[in-house]
Amino acid sequence: MVALLLGVLAVSQFRSQDVYSRSLQLETPASLTSLIATLADKNSALRDEIFDLRLRVAAAGASVSTGLFSLTEGERQLAQIRVFAAQDAVAGPGISVMLDGPFDEKAMSDLVNELRNAGAEAIAINDRRVGPRSWFAPGPAGGIALDGNRLGGPWAVHAIGSSDVLYVAITRTGGIVGQFELIYRSTRFKVSKEPSLDLPPLR
Amino acid sequence: MDRPNATQQAHLRSGLALLVPALLFGFLVAAQWQTQLERTELAVRYNAPLTEAARSLQSEQNTLKAQLADLRRQLDTIQANASTQTGVTRELQARIDDLKARAGLTPVSGDGVVIQLDDAKQTSASVKDLDKSICHATDLTDIVNAAWRGGAQAVAINEERIVGTSSVYCVGSTIMVNGTLMSPPFRIVAIGRQDQLLGAFQDPAQLRDIKQRGEVHGLGFRVSRATGLQAPEYSGALNVRAAQPR
Repeated sequence: MVALLLGVLAVSQFRSQDVYSRSLQLETPASLTSLIATLADKNSALRDEIFDLRLRVAAAGASVSTGLFSLTEGERQLAQIRVFAAQDAVAGPGISVMLDGPFDEKAMSDLVNELRNAGAEAIAINDRRVGPRSWFAPGPAGGIALDGNRLGGPWAVHAIGSSDVLYVAITRTGGIVGQFELIYRSTRFKVSKEPSLDLPPLR
Repeated sequence: MDRPNATQQAHLRSGLALLVPALLFGFLVAAQWQTQLERTELAVRYNAPLTEAARSLQSEQNTLKAQLADLRRQLDTIQANASTQTGVTRELQARIDDLKARAGLTPVSGDGVVIQLDDAKQTSASVKDLDKSICHATDLTDIVNAAWRGGAQAVAINEERIVGTSSVYCVGSTIMVNGTLMSPPFRIVAIGRQDQLLGAFQDPAQLRDIKQRGEVHGLGFRVSRATGLQAPEYSGALNVRAAQPR
């Protein structure tokens, strides 16, 4: 028994050190594969934007002498940044996450973080837009407050982006919804792909 | 041949009783050592190329971000020149500049607070306790949430500006912010009114878990006033594709 216990302790100690290490070499192949997929996605988005921006710079350079450039390019840039800064109402495909039952502000913040990581371009909760400086707090009577405004349950979280990518990221085995289902056992979670969502601007 | 007496028999029995656990322990140690060797070999076989691929992608990302920043500068220059042409273009440029500042697309400097977050220097052997003594992605999202709640005008984690599409992602024990790989210690810069920011972080109801882990498990967590802070502009993709203005 003593030897068995010593053996178990020795194995536990080895695993503790393994978890503690933050070196990439000690990540599991599964973690590294997931990391690589995420990095590849981010790089792909950067390459797309570089391609787009090169065309815009070339077009702008050619047309600036005519005086016609600034309005066309400037308006395009303004429209893009207004969407990025949540200043405009937006429409597009995405997913809907319905939550009915006990939930809290930390979990809601984690869900928003997960949606952003999966590439969500715009998010709203119960028709209130999540902005670049948005924050969550406990609401009165057990609700959730977004930027100081109480949002009572049930909650409808809408995220615009690639509906397939967002859906898989949220519902995959071991994903955030699966974790929520284990923690908030009496809460109902329903995730669906949406061909078109309408989100209000930041208020 | 003499038969062993009762004392000798007792010694023999106790010797055998010790031999069995000793052999078992030896076997376990050898098995663990062997398993570890196999793990190491597997790690070399699969992790080395995967690690190299991750590093290569991170390096490529740095290059892509530099190219993107250069193109954005070129477009800004062309636009700034064009904006001198008419009143309409000047007004348009002013609106773009204002929005870029609000969206985190321009660098910001000013006073505020600095939050230091680090793994405990000494950790317990217990996996449960170890989990409480190291930094997690959720710690960073909680700190960023507290900074916005405290009225921060700009937030950056290890020089990565936090914007509307930023995420803090954890894979295994590696943390990624805006797609950039990071490891502790983390330095979070929050620019804004110092009293208001400090009030938010010192509120006992805020960041309870982090503060408790700091006291009990040695997690490094410190908030201090700082002047002349810098938060760089966001250098990632804007990623506006699916969302169309209505």
